[in-house]
Amino acid sequence: MKRLSLGALRGRARVHAVRGGVHPKDNKALSAECPIEPIPLSGLLRVPLQQHIGAEAEPVVAKGDRVAKGQVLAIGRRAVSAAVHAPTSGRVIAIGRFVAPHPSGLPVATITLRPDGEDRWADLPSPLDPNTATPDALAERVAASGIVGMGGATFPSAVKLDLRNRFPLDTLVINAAECEPYLTCDDRLLRERAAAVADGILCMARALTVDKVIVAIESNKPQAAAAMRKAVANLPLDARVIVVPTRYPMGSEKHLVQALTGRETPARALTAEIGLVVHNPATAYAVHRAVRHGEPLISRILTVSGRAVARPANIEVPIGTPIADILAHCGGTLGEPARLLLGGPMMGLPVPSTRAPVVKGTNGILALSAAECRRDEAMPCIRCGTCVTVCPSGLTPLELNARIRNEELDGAVRIGLLDCISCGSCSYVCPSNIPLIQSFNYAKGKLAAQQRVKHQQEETKRLAQQREVRLERIAAAKMEALKRRKAEMAAKKAKAKAQEGAKAAAPLETAS
Amino acid sequence: MSPPTLVSGPHAHSMSTVSRAMLLVSLALTPATALGCYLFGWPAIFLFAITIGTAVGAEALCLRLARRPPARFLLDGSAVLSGWLVALSLPPWAPWWIGVLGGAIAMVVGKHVFGGLGQNLFNPAMVARIMLLISFPVQMTAYVAPAPLGAPGAPGFLDGLAITFGLGGGATGGFDAVSSASVLGHLSTELGRGASLEAIRASGAGLVELSLGTVAGSLGETSAALLLLGGLLLLVFGVINWRIPVSVLGTTAALATLFHAIDPSRYPDAAFHLVSGALMLCAFFIATDYVTSPVAPLGELIYGAGIGALVYIIRTWGAFPEGVGFAVLLMNACTPLIDHLIRPRIFGRSRRGKPLTLPAAGDSP
Amino acid sequence: MSTDYKTIARNGLWDGNIVFGQLLALCPLLAVTGTATNGLGMGLATTAVLVASGLAVSALRGAITTEIRIPAFVLIIATIVTLVDMAMNAYLHDLHKVLGLFIPLIVTNCAILGRAEAFASRRSLPAAGFDGLMMGIGFTLALVVLGAVREVLGSGTLFSNAALLLGDGLSWLEIRLIPDYDGFLLLILPPGGFIVLGFLLALKAAIEARPARTGTIDEAHERIQQVFTAGALLPGAGQRGEGT
Repeated sequence: MKRLSLGALRGRARVHAVRGGVHPKDNKALSAECPIEPIPLSGLLRVPLQQHIGAEAEPVVAKGDRVAKGQVLAIGRRAVSAAVHAPTSGRVIAIGRFVAPHPSGLPVATITLRPDGEDRWADLPSPLDPNTATPDALAERVAASGIVGMGGATFPSAVKLDLRNRFPLDTLVINAAECEPYLTCDDRLLRERAAAVADGILCMARALTVDKVIVAIESNKPQAAAAMRKAVANLPLDARVIVVPTRYPMGSEKHLVQALTGRETPARALTAEIGLVVHNPATAYAVHRAVRHGEPLISRILTVSGRAVARPANIEVPIGTPIADILAHCGGTLGEPARLLLGGPMMGLPVPSTRAPVVKGTNGILALSAAECRRDEAMPCIRCGTCVTVCPSGLTPLELNARIRNEELDGAVRIGLLDCISCGSCSYVCPSNIPLIQSFNYAKGKLAAQQRVKHQQEETKRLAQQREVRLERIAAAKMEALKRRKAEMAAKKAKAKAQEGAKAAAPLETAS
Repeated sequence: MSPPTLVSGPHAHSMSTVSRAMLLVSLALTPATALGCYLFGWPAIFLFAITIGTAVGAEALCLRLARRPPARFLLDGSAVLSGWLVALSLPPWAPWWIGVLGGAIAMVVGKHVFGGLGQNLFNPAMVARIMLLISFPVQMTAYVAPAPLGAPGAPGFLDGLAITFGLGGGATGGFDAVSSASVLGHLSTELGRGASLEAIRASGAGLVELSLGTVAGSLGETSAALLLLGGLLLLVFGVINWRIPVSVLGTTAALATLFHAIDPSRYPDAAFHLVSGALMLCAFFIATDYVTSPVAPLGELIYGAGIGALVYIIRTWGAFPEGVGFAVLLMNACTPLIDHLIRPRIFGRSRRGKPLTLPAAGDSP
Repeated sequence: MSTDYKTIARNGLWDGNIVFGQLLALCPLLAVTGTATNGLGMGLATTAVLVASGLAVSALRGAITTEIRIPAFVLIIATIVTLVDMAMNAYLHDLHKVLGLFIPLIVTNCAILGRAEAFASRRSLPAAGFDGLMMGIGFTLALVVLGAVREVLGSGTLFSNAALLLGDGLSWLEIRLIPDYDGFLLLILPPGGFIVLGFLLALKAAIEARPARTGTIDEAHERIQQVFTAGALLPGAGQRGEGT
C-alpha cells in the first residue's frame, strides 16, 4: 500500500509484473499521425447478421424494404447475441449467405443494402443521462444499439454490463493497450475524441455501478495517455490512466488485469469474478454515441496499414463497407501484397475475399509486403526454450507441439493446451520457424469436434435409453394389465368354482 | 496426421534463427580458440581443422543416409559448433585420429543415432570427449606445455604435421615435446602422493596464469578469462540466459568454499576451481546447449546446480581429475525428467495445475 | 499342424532371431561378447540347452498340465543347464573359467523358456528339436558377429583364445588384424556392446528395407527413410532419446 501511494505521489502508478511476452516491431509510425478520416459511401453495403460471439441475429426486414440509417435490420433474440442496424438509408436488395470475416471462414447470413445516398436517419431513441438513468436502462440501451466488444473479441457488451448482477464488481478497466503492431485506431480515437470516450466510460461505469476506472495505455502512445488523463480528470469517478509497458500481449484481458492490479484471474474464470470488467475504448465511444445520442453502432474506426498499402490511414467506416473499397480509398495496394489481414499481424486472420465487408470487430486491414511477413521453412525444434520464456500463460509450447504431433491430444490438454490464449508469442520467437499456434489451433479444433461428436453420441444414447425405458414401461404396463386380467379371471373362476362348490356342497350338507 | 497448412497467425516473426545463434556462439568461442591455437602452435591448428572437418563430413554423411537436404541442415552450423567444442576439449598435440574419431563420434553416436538436430539426449561434444577419454586414456591426457607459434623450440609447420600425423614415429612425431600435466591432473596426482596443497599449488601455475590460459591443458579450455569474455558476449546477445552458467559456477564455487573452509590443506579454494579445467567452457558453452538442457527456468537452475555439484564431487573424490564431461552427461540424462517434473506455473493455476481459488468477497481491496 | 522346416529355419536365423529379431537375452549378450570366441562358446552352450530343452519339453508335452507348465519347464531347463555347465567345466575348463559366471545364468535366459512355452510345448519332437537348433544357431551367429565386431574394433584381434574352445588344432583362427593397435576400450566395455548392437540392428533394418525384388525403388526409399529418421524430422516428433 505504501509503495502504491509513493507511486501516486510521483504521478506514476506501479505496474505489476506479468509473465512472458515479446517485443515485436510495432510499425505504428506508419499510421499513427494519420487523423481519423471519413470514407465515401460504397455502392453496396453488406451487413452480416453474425458480427459477434453468440447466436446469429434474426432479420426483421425483408427484401425490397426501404430502411433508414440506424434502423434495426435484425435483432438478437437469444441471451448472447446482438442487434444489427442499417449503416445508411437505402433499400434491402438481398438477404442471403455471403462471404464475411468470420473465424470459421464460412459464409454468413448477410443483408445487402443499396444506399440511396440520402443518409436519412431513422427516429432514434431519446438521449439518456448516465447520472440519472438506471443501470438497467443504460444496459438496455447498449443492447438495443447492437454494441459489441470492438477490440476484436466482439462479445456483446450489454451482457458484460449485466455482470454486476452476478459478481461483486469494483473496477472498470478500459483496455487501450493496443498491443498489436500496426494498429493505431484506438490511439487516434483517444487522441481526437478523448472527451467522448471519457463520457462513454462514465456511462459504462454507471451501468456497472462501479466507481473505480483504470484506463490502461501502452507506453508507446504518450499523446493518447495525456489526452485521456485530461479527459478523465473531469469525470465524477475515481478514474486514472495507467501507462503499461509496451509488450505484446499486454492487451490480453487477464494479463492486463494482472499488470494493473496484481490480481491473477483463475483459469477458466472471468475477470469479473475477481471484480473487474474490461472494455475497449472504441466500445466506450460507441456506448457514448448510443447513450447520449441514441445512435446505434453502425460505423467503426479502423487502421489501414502495412507496407503494401499506398496510403496508410485511420478511417471511420460504415459497417458493411467492402474491404476492396477501403483499400481503393487508401490508394490501393502496391503490387500484390504478400498477405492481406483483418486485425493485427499477431492474431489477425487472412482476408477471406476483398469483397467481404467490414464488421463491428474489424480493427484493422493490413496489406503486408513479403519482407514484413517472411517466414522461413520450419526446421526441427532445438529445444531452445524461448517459447517457454515468452509464453504469457506459462505453458511449454514445444512440449505441447510434440504431443499434438503425436496425436496425444489428451496429453496436450493435461499440460495446459486449453489455457493457451493463441497470442502467437511462441511462433513469433521460434528460431526454427515452427508453426506452433497453427498446431495448437488444429488441436483445439479437433478437440472441439471430438466434444461435439461425444455430445451427439451421448444425446443419441440418452434418447435411445429413454425409448428403452418407455418401451419397458409400456411392456411392464401391458404385463401388469395382463396379470391383472389373469388375476381377475382367476378370481372370477375361483369365485364361480366356490359358488359351484357351495352349491354342490349345500345339498350334501343338507343331506348330512 | 499433421495439421493442415492453412495460413495462420502470427504473420510476423522475430527473425531469430538457429544459424544466428550458432554463429554467435562460434564468435564467442573465437578468442579462447585463437589463444589455444597460438599457444600450442601448428599441431593444435591441424587438430582443430581435422576435428571440425570430420564432424561436418560425418554430419553430411548421416544427412545423406537419412535423406534430408544436407545443405539446409549443414548451413545451420550445428555440426561446425559440435566439432569445434570437441576440438577444444582435446589435448592440443593429440594425433590426427583422435580428432577424426572425436568429430565422427560426436556426430554419429552423439547426434544422428538419436534422430539428428534437436533429438539427441546427450551433448554430442561431451559424448565424444568421454568416449575418447575412456578408450584412449593415454592420448587423452598427454598434455604439453605451451609453445607459442614462432617461439624458439615451438614446432614449425612441418614439425606440426609430423606431430599430428605421427610421421616421425613415436607419439609426438619425433619432436621433443615438453610434456606437462594439466593443472587438475597434477593436483590429483600429487594429492594422491600425500603432498600438501600448499606445496602443490606453489609448484604449479598461479591463478593469473590459469585465468590467462598460459598453462598446459586442453586446446581451448585453458583461458578462463577469454571463455568468460565469450560467455558474457552470449549473455549480452541473448543467446543464453544467466541461469545455467550462474548455477554451475555458483554451485562449484559454493562447495569449494565450504570444503576449503573445512580443510584448507586438502581442498583448493573456489577461485582455483573456477579458473582451472573445463569449468568455464562448460558453464557458458556446453551446459547451456539448448537441445540437452531443460527448458523451464527452475529446471535450468536445478540442472546447472547438478552439473556444478557433480563437477566438484568428481574432481575432488572421483577417479578422474576433471569431471565436467561426466557431470554434463549425467545431468543430460536427467533433463527429460526435470522437464517432465518442472514446468512453469500456468497462468491462473496453482503449481499442481488446479485453477486458483477465487479470493473471498471481503479480500478485494 | 504341418511342420514347415524352412519357415522354422528362417525364423530362427533371421526374422525371429533371438537377438536381432526379438531383442531378448541381452544380458549374456553384452556380458560375453568382448571377443568372438567367448560369443561362440556362449552360443554353443545355449544352443545345446535350446535343443535339449526343446526335445524334452516336446516329449513331455502330454504329461505336463497347463497349470504347472512354467515351473516344469524351468526345472527341465535348469537340469540341462547344470549338465552343460558341468560338462564344460570338465572338458573345456579354460573357457569355463572365462564364461563360467554366465553359463548357469542360461537358466534365466528368457529366450529358452520362451521357445519352450511358445513352440516346443505344442509341436512334435523333430520340429521342437529343429527349432531349438535353428534358434541356437541364430543366437550363436549374433553373438559371434557382435563379438567379432567388438573384438576387431576394440582390441584389433579376432577369435583370440579360440584354442581354448576348439582345441589347439584351430589356433590358426586367432588373428591379430591390426598390429600395434592401442585398443578402443569403450567397445569392450558393456556400453560399447550396446552401441555396436544398435548399429547392427540398424544394419539389419537397412538390409530388410533394401529395394526388394517385389517393391519399387521409391517404396524402398520410403522404408529406408522410415528406418533412419524414425519420424524424427518433424519437430518434436517421437519421444526424445528413443533412438537406439
